Amino acid sequence: MADKATGHDRATRRLWPALALPGTLWLIALFVVPFYAVMAVAFSGRINIFNEPIPAWNPLTWESTTFTTAVTDSFTPSGVYHEVWVRTAIYSFWALVICVAIGYPVAYYAARLAGRRRGLILALILAPWWINYITRMLAWVNLLQDDGYVNKALGWFGIPPHSWLSGSSFTVVWALAYGYLPYFIIPLFASLDRIDQRLLEASRDLGIGSIRTFLHVTLPLSRLGLITSLVITALPMAGDYYTNTIVSGSPNTNMVGNQIELFLLEGPQKNIGAGLVLVLSLVLMFFMFYYLLLTQRASRAATR
Amino acid sequence: MTFDPNDPALRRRRSRPQLARRDVLRGGVWLTVGLGAAPLLAACGDSSSGPAAGGGAPYLLARPDRPVTLAIKDSNPPIGDGLDPEEGGTFNILNYAQYMAPGVMKDFGKKHNVSVEVTPYNNYDEMLAKIRQPGESFDLVFPGPSVLSKMVYADLVQPLNHSYLPHLENLWPEYQDPWYDQGARYTVPYTVYGTGVMYRADRVKSVPKVGYDLFWDKDYAGKVYLLEDRQEAIGMSLLRNNITDDVNTANPDDIKRATDSLIELINLVNVKTDVNAYSEVPEGTATVHQCWSGDLIAGQYYLPKGETPEVLGYWRPADADYVVGSDNIAIPKSAKKPVLAHLMMNDLLDNQIGLRNFGWNGYQPPLTKLSAKYLTDQGYIPDNLSNAVVVRSDFDKGHTFYEVSPSTEALWQSNWARFKAGG
Repeated sequence: MADKATGHDRATRRLWPALALPGTLWLIALFVVPFYAVMAVAFSGRINIFNEPIPAWNPLTWESTTFTTAVTDSFTPSGVYHEVWVRTAIYSFWALVICVAIGYPVAYYAARLAGRRRGLILALILAPWWINYITRMLAWVNLLQDDGYVNKALGWFGIPPHSWLSGSSFTVVWALAYGYLPYFIIPLFASLDRIDQRLLEASRDLGIGSIRTFLHVTLPLSRLGLITSLVITALPMAGDYYTNTIVSGSPNTNMVGNQIELFLLEGPQKNIGAGLVLVLSLVLMFFMFYYLLLTQRASRAATR
Repeated sequence: MTFDPNDPALRRRRSRPQLARRDVLRGGVWLTVGLGAAPLLAACGDSSSGPAAGGGAPYLLARPDRPVTLAIKDSNPPIGDGLDPEEGGTFNILNYAQYMAPGVMKDFGKKHNVSVEVTPYNNYDEMLAKIRQPGESFDLVFPGPSVLSKMVYADLVQPLNHSYLPHLENLWPEYQDPWYDQGARYTVPYTVYGTGVMYRADRVKSVPKVGYDLFWDKDYAGKVYLLEDRQEAIGMSLLRNNITDDVNTANPDDIKRATDSLIELINLVNVKTDVNAYSEVPEGTATVHQCWSGDLIAGQYYLPKGETPEVLGYWRPADADYVVGSDNIAIPKSAKKPVLAHLMMNDLLDNQIGLRNFGWNGYQPPLTKLSAKYLTDQGYIPDNLSNAVVVRSDFDKGHTFYEVSPSTEALWQSNWARFKAGG
């Protein structure tokens, strides 16, 4: 008996790491190796005659000049890319605010109030994913152009037409919010959906109104879901470059993704592009760690 | 061929969209997958790196006043005379997207019993990456003067056998013996073009003596576009700043001054950059747009219903200040159908087929017969846009972009990045 149990334990002990193997390999092949390749390019100043970077695979040969310049150009107020970083932060921030303002009520409605229509609502939220992101953005070009439907619709109310596509920050922020809204709603929906109905009933039984129930029960319980949603949305948003290429194209609205694209698409300085990728990754990782810290604290609080 | 401007097939043509809207997607692939894979590929090219990284290339850099005769190596000979054309299978073309008339390719395929396929690229770096992929084979490629020398040096293209190219004599004499490839050993020219300003004649009140000033005119704020091309944009600004001795300058102060002028445009007119002049000016999105001369020819087919080409205008500087360029046709060393490739090259230099291809893509082959007068008489170009036709004298005196050292290229790119970052 005892022997059998140990054998079983041993098998389980081997089984779980084995199950993690495909995921680990995937992570190594598609994250660790490419990320190391980016570092090898960022820390190498050499190119071949075809403008291709020659990665410095050996860390002992790394030159940090390009990377340090990328960092100082990004974070000193007089740096070339400083403005671009500030813009990226502001655009992402406002796009996230719009996502919360629109996405939270929608997720709340879908999770708590939709009843039988919930399937339909979820399908509608996911419907944009059936269409390629670029295509959806190009559709906005048709809607927003000078003689497009948006200006026509405004005309019915006597509002003069506006050049939405002539390099306006406003358009870029809305386009970002529109593009990433489904990413925001789905995780939030899942977390709102998980909230125990009995807690809300208890709150109501104690005579607390629906607004205070929301503020004191639902909102705190969905906080982690909200943060997850914010992180999932903010990560791709901060590196986005095609949204504003399509709806603006002006140097006035360029984000850090555009600068990265500029250096990586062609030319002899792919190492600067790779350096900016690293800086962006570090900035995002900072937020990611903060998020992990929060979730860890929350799960510790839950088990206590 | 008769030319019917109402032919729906003609309306769909596009000019050379180096970074058209839809191609942005391909850039995305670069950022994600490519970032991981490209350096791995590059590692294989280690051996050819040495001298280039330092600033000097291991081959001669061609200049209009210092023509280059590209070497023919024993290891890379041209094909023999009098071979039969290959038949069946696919004929693979590596080219900019939408840069050759589909009808021309289809007819060629029918005639020689092959299916013609195009693999598109957006810039020369991408073209070089594709042509260098091990095991990949292409039958025709379109390198400009700025990448040709390195492609010959690295054995990526093969020498031509002129016995298959009797139509060479249809070309302007200077293009039978161009500065970047004396004796047309590896290339024949495909198109020639100049860079100027395309504008809506119905909105622009008067065109100043230096048409570039239109970009700096507050009246057109929000509707001012430059080419999404650092050489063209900064080069234009150099000329406007009267720095005219070398449009490829390596002088950091000159490049900085030109870029600073471009940066003024950001707050003055909220300038934008793309390569879609051919559609944006006719449609009215842009009022003034830096453009290639071919955009004018294509532009007449993007006018909204009821508008005539009279609403379009083209300003170009005088001969001596005109920036002109050319694209060439070459045969990759990896070609599986080199005889057929010679035949297609010869076809494209045929006056009729060249004209047909021009009619579709708007970019002009340097064929002697296709003069401005001929093209306007035939109805390809309205009279008011006849200045968009490039003529031989432009190439005697004008400026052109050529291959510069990587350090100069880096200088230009960093300044362009400064402009694109918003100053």
